Amino acid sequence: MIWLVFALMTGAAVLCALWPLARRRTSSEGEARAVAFYKAQIAEIDRDVERGQLPEEEARSARIEAARRLIAAGERAEVAGAPAGARVRRIAASLVILIGVPVVALDFYARYGSPNEPDEPIAARLNDPSRSNDLQAAVAKIESHLIAHPNDGVGYKVIAPAYLRLGRFDDAVRAYSEALRLLGDNPDLRADYGEAQVAAAGGVVTDAARASFQQALDKNPSSRKARYYLALAAEQDGDRPRAVDMYQKLLAGAPPDAPWAPAVRERLAGLGESAPAASAKVDAPPSQEAAAIASLSPEQRQTAIQGMVDRLAARLAAKGDDPEGWRRLIRAYAVLQEQDKAKEALAKARAALDGDDAAKRDLDALAKELGLES
Amino acid sequence: MIVEIGHYALTLALALALVQAIVPLWGAARSDEGLIGVAQSTAIGQFAAVALSFAALVEAHLVSDFSVLNVAENSHTAVPTIYKITGVWGNHEGSMLLWVLILAVFGALVAIFARALPPVLRGNVLGVQGLISSAFLAFILITSNPFARLDPAPFEGRDLNPVLQDPGLAIHPPLLYLGYVGFSIVFSFAAAALIEGRVDAAWARFVRPFALIAWSFLTLGIAMGSYWAYYTLGWGGFWFWDPVENASLMPWLAGTAFVHSVAVMEKREALKVWTVFLAIVAFSFSLLGTFLVRSGVLTSVHAFASDPERGVFILLILAAFIGGALALFAWRAPLLKQGGLFAPISREGALVLNNLFLTTSCAAVMLGTLYPLALEQLTGEKITVGAPFFNMTCGALLIALCAVIPFGQSLAWKRGDLLGAAQRLAIAGAAGLCVAVALYAAMSGGPVLAPIGAGLAIYVILGASSEIAARLWRGGAPFSVLLARAAGLPLSTWGAAVAHLGVGVTLLGLAMTGFGAETIASMKIGEPRVVGPYVVAFESLQPRVGPNYRELVAKAAIRKGGAVVATVEPSKRFFPAREMSTTQAGIVTLDLGQIYISIGDENNGAIAARLYWKPLVTLIWIGACVMALGGALSLADRRLRIGAPARAKAALAPQPTRAG
Amino acid sequence: MTRKGRRLTLIGVALCVVAFAVGLGLYALRDSIVFFYGPSEIAEKNVQPGARLRVGGLVKPGTLVRSANERISFVITDNAHDVAVTYQGQVPDLFREGQGVVAEGVLEAPGKFHADTILSKHDERYMPREVVDALKKQGRWQEGGGT
Repeated sequence: MIWLVFALMTGAAVLCALWPLARRRTSSEGEARAVAFYKAQIAEIDRDVERGQLPEEEARSARIEAARRLIAAGERAEVAGAPAGARVRRIAASLVILIGVPVVALDFYARYGSPNEPDEPIAARLNDPSRSNDLQAAVAKIESHLIAHPNDGVGYKVIAPAYLRLGRFDDAVRAYSEALRLLGDNPDLRADYGEAQVAAAGGVVTDAARASFQQALDKNPSSRKARYYLALAAEQDGDRPRAVDMYQKLLAGAPPDAPWAPAVRERLAGLGESAPAASAKVDAPPSQEAAAIASLSPEQRQTAIQGMVDRLAARLAAKGDDPEGWRRLIRAYAVLQEQDKAKEALAKARAALDGDDAAKRDLDALAKELGLES
Repeated sequence: MIVEIGHYALTLALALALVQAIVPLWGAARSDEGLIGVAQSTAIGQFAAVALSFAALVEAHLVSDFSVLNVAENSHTAVPTIYKITGVWGNHEGSMLLWVLILAVFGALVAIFARALPPVLRGNVLGVQGLISSAFLAFILITSNPFARLDPAPFEGRDLNPVLQDPGLAIHPPLLYLGYVGFSIVFSFAAAALIEGRVDAAWARFVRPFALIAWSFLTLGIAMGSYWAYYTLGWGGFWFWDPVENASLMPWLAGTAFVHSVAVMEKREALKVWTVFLAIVAFSFSLLGTFLVRSGVLTSVHAFASDPERGVFILLILAAFIGGALALFAWRAPLLKQGGLFAPISREGALVLNNLFLTTSCAAVMLGTLYPLALEQLTGEKITVGAPFFNMTCGALLIALCAVIPFGQSLAWKRGDLLGAAQRLAIAGAAGLCVAVALYAAMSGGPVLAPIGAGLAIYVILGASSEIAARLWRGGAPFSVLLARAAGLPLSTWGAAVAHLGVGVTLLGLAMTGFGAETIASMKIGEPRVVGPYVVAFESLQPRVGPNYRELVAKAAIRKGGAVVATVEPSKRFFPAREMSTTQAGIVTLDLGQIYISIGDENNGAIAARLYWKPLVTLIWIGACVMALGGALSLADRRLRIGAPARAKAALAPQPTRAG
Repeated sequence: MTRKGRRLTLIGVALCVVAFAVGLGLYALRDSIVFFYGPSEIAEKNVQPGARLRVGGLVKPGTLVRSANERISFVITDNAHDVAVTYQGQVPDLFREGQGVVAEGVLEAPGKFHADTILSKHDERYMPREVVDALKKQGRWQEGGGT
C-alpha cells in the first residue's frame, strides 16, 4: 500500500520535471507570450493615464520602454530557432530526471525512512482495547488526569507504584511526596516513599530515605518495609552484626510463607558468606556500640556515629592492612555525605593496601558503587 | 502512513531540487530554453513536496503521534492545540523544515512570476535557488530528520519548552524566516547576474520586489521577536544585543543597505558592483545567523539542541555558498559594466552615505558578535562583548544616519541643492531642537542621549512628512487638488516617506525609554507603590490551574488620581511535565506607554515584584510596523510590475528648486 | 567639480566614516569586554579584585540564602573552588541550587563576587556552555548527567 503511494508520488514528481521537456514547445512560443505580456502592459499604461494615475511624461517613457522590449522579444523569437544539439541535451536531461529522481529519493528514503512503522496517534492508542492493560497507557491517562486535578492525592498514590515498575524512580519519588503532602502522613505511604527514594538512589539507602523509614517506624513499629530497609542501611554502613540482627528479627516475626521472606534470607546468606570470623572479631566492640547508638536521640546518634567513624579512621591510620575496615570507613563517609573524606580515605586505602590485588579490586568496585570516581 | 508519506515527500523534494539545480544551469549555459523550462515546473513541484511533508509533520503533532521522535520530544497531550501546531517549528528539526518550506515558497513565487524574466537569467536564478534548496534539504535529511521514528512509542511527550508556549512562537519564526529566506532570492539573482556577467537596471527592477518583501518581513520578524522577548522574559528589556538577535540584525542592516542601493542602480545605473556585493552579503548574514543559532556555537533559548555534526554541516553549507559567491564575485565582477559617476551632493550621493553608515554598523555588529567566538577558538579565552560596545558603535552610527535621512529624501537625483534642502528641513529641524531642549529641561537626571534621540526622532518624522507635503503643496491649491495629487504620487515615494517616518517613530520610542520609571519592591497585598505617573497595588494572590500548568496569579490595580485605570494579572507558571516555571509579566498599554509588572516569589505575604513605567514604549514596535508598511507600499508601486525604463526615470525626480 | 574630484570626495567621505567607526569600535571594545571564568580559573589566574567578570558554575547546594529586599547570596562552585556571590534583584525562573548559573558583576575581594546580572539555563536539557567547559576542565562533567 505505502509503496504504491510512493510510486505514485515518484511518478508525479518525474512527470512534473519532464513536462517542460516533453512539450514540443519552440522557444518562440515563450517569446510570443512575452510579446503578449508587453502588449498588455502598454494597455495598462493607457488605462492608468485615462484614470489620471500616471502623469503623461511618465507614461510616455514607460510606453517607450515596453515597446523597446516588445521589439526585442520579437527579434529574439526569430533568432532562437532551433539551437544545435538541443535534441541531444533534451534527451540527456530527460534521462537524468527519469533515473535521478527515483534513485535519489529512494536512496535517501531507504537510509532514513521506516516504511513499516504505522502511525500511532495518541487517541487511537488510548482507546485501543488490546492495550487497555498496558501500564504505560494507564500511566499516561492518570498523568493527564493529574495535570487537570493537581490536588488529587489518591491519583498520586496510584501512579507512584506504576512509576516504580516502569523504572521512572524520580517520578515515583515526586508522586509519593505529593501524595504525602495531599493525603497527610501515613506510615505505609511514608515507607513506600522511602523505598522509592532508595530506588532513585540506585539502591543506596540515603539519609533522606533512612529518615523516611525512621518516621514510618516511629508511627508503626511493625512496618516490615521500614525495618527491612533500615536493616539494609545498617548493612550498607558496614555494620554487619546489627544488620544480621535486624534481618533475623524481621524473619522471626514473619509467617513462614511470607512473600518477602526469601529476599531477607538471601540478604542474610549474602552477609554470612562474606563474613569471615577474623573481621567479626574486630567488629565485636562496635556492635555493642551500635546497639547503644540505636537508643539515642538523632543528634546524639549523629555524634556517636561520628565518633565511631573517627575511631575507625584512627585505628586504620595506625594499622592499615585491614581491607574490610577501609571499606567500612569509606562507606561510612559516603553515607555521611562527606565525599571529600571518602575520597581521601579511598586514596589512603589504596596506598595502605598496595600489593593486595583482591582488596584493590574490591576498593575499585566500592568506589564505583558510591560514585567516588567519575 | 501519513508520517512516512511526509518523509518520502521530503526525499522527493531533494531529488527535485537537485534537478532544479542541474538542468536549468546547464540550459542557461547553453541558452537552451527547453532545459531552462524545467526550472519552473520543478520549483513548483518542490514546493508541493515540501508543503506535503510539512503538513504531515503538523498532522503528527496535532494527533500527538509519539512514534515520531520530534513529537515525543517537543509535544505533550495536554498542550493546547495552538501550541501543538506552533510546536512544529518550536524545535530544531521542525524549524529547519519551516525554513526549507519558505525557501520553496519563494522558489515557486519566482517560478510563477518569472515569465517576464529573460530566459537565461530565469534559468540561472532558479538554478542557484535549487542549489540552496538541495543543500538544506540534504542537511535536514542527514542530520536533523524531523521524521525519525521511535519504537516503542512513549505514551507521553516531553512537552514543548514552556518559554515557547506563547502566541509569539506562532508569528515570530515564520516572519523572521520569510525575511531571512527572502534574501536567498536576492542572492540567487546576484549569483545569476555574475554567472551571466551582465547586470542592468532591469535586473534591479526584478530583484527589488523580492528584496522589499524580504526586508519588510524581516523588519516585522525582528520587531515581533523583540516584543516577545520583552513580555516573556520578565526583565522589561526589548533588545539585549544577544548574538542571536545580532544574527537577525546583520542581514537587516545589509538588506536595508541593499534596498537603497538597488534604487540607485535602478534609477541611475550606478553602484552595480556594490549592489551585487550587498545582495551576496545580505544572504550570507542570513546563513551566518542560521549557523550561529542552529549549530550550538551560541547558547541561547534559540539553540534547541546542539550537535557538532549539525554545526559542521551548516558550516560547510555556509563556506560553500558564501565562499562560492564571493569567489564568483571576485572572478566575474570586473565584467560588469561600471555605471556613471555622480555628484556627491545628490540623492544618490546621500544613498551612498546611507550605505556607508549601514554597512559600517553591520560590520561593527559582526565584530562584536564574532570576536568572542574567534578569540575562544584561537586562545581559549572566553569573553563576552557587552551592550555598551553595540550601543556606542552601532547606536552612534545609526543616529548619525538618522540625521542624514531627511536630507537624502529632499535631494534630487543627479545634482542636488543642499541649501534648498536645508531650507526645506529648517522647520523640522527647529521642531526637533525645541523638543530636545524642552525634554532636557523637564528631565531630572537620566541619560543625555534620551532628549537628543527624541528631538532627532521628531526631526526625522517631520522631515519624512514634509517631503510628501512639499510635493503636494506647490502653490497652495485647494484641498481636492491636493488629494488628487496625493493619489497621483508614485506609491514608491509614499513607501519611502512612510518607511522613514517609521524609523522616526521607532527612534522616538527608543529615546523615551530614558524617561521611564522602575522599581523593585517587596509588596504586601494592598500596599501602594508609585511608578511614574501611576500608583500600583496588588489586590490578591491566587492559584489557578491552566491546561498544562499551574500558576500563581497576582491581581494588581493601576490607579491614576485615585481612580482605577486598569488591572493586570502578572503570574508565575509551573509546568509539571518539564518541571519548569515561567514568569508571565502583566502588561497594560496606557497612552502608548506601558505599565509592566513581573512577580517573583511570595515571601511572608509579600510579593517580590518589578514594576516599570515605560512611556511611549509601544512606538518602538509600531514604528517597525510602519516601516514594513512603507516596504509594502513601495512593493505595490505599479512601476515595479511594469518594468518601465530606467534611463528615462531621472525625469521623475523631485525638483527641489521649485519647492524651496 | 571634475570627475576625479568627485571620486576623491566620495572616497574621502567614506574613509572618514570608516575611520570614525573603527575608532569608536576600538574605544567601545576596550570598556565592554567581559571575561568569563570558572571559580578555579579565578583562583589560578589570581584575578585582581575590581575586574568585571562573568563567573559560571553550579549553585552549591545549601548555600542559597535569601534575605530582605530581594537580596540573595549563594556560592558558585566547580567542585574544586568556590566563589561567594551576592546579588540583589529577581533571579531567573530556573535559578536553583545544584543548577548551572552564570553571574556577571564585579570581583570585590578574592573569592567574593557581587553580581548585577544572573543568567540561568533555559531548560533542563541546556546547561550554559561556558559552565560545561569550566566543569569539564575540572573533570567534573559527565556527558548527559551533569555532576
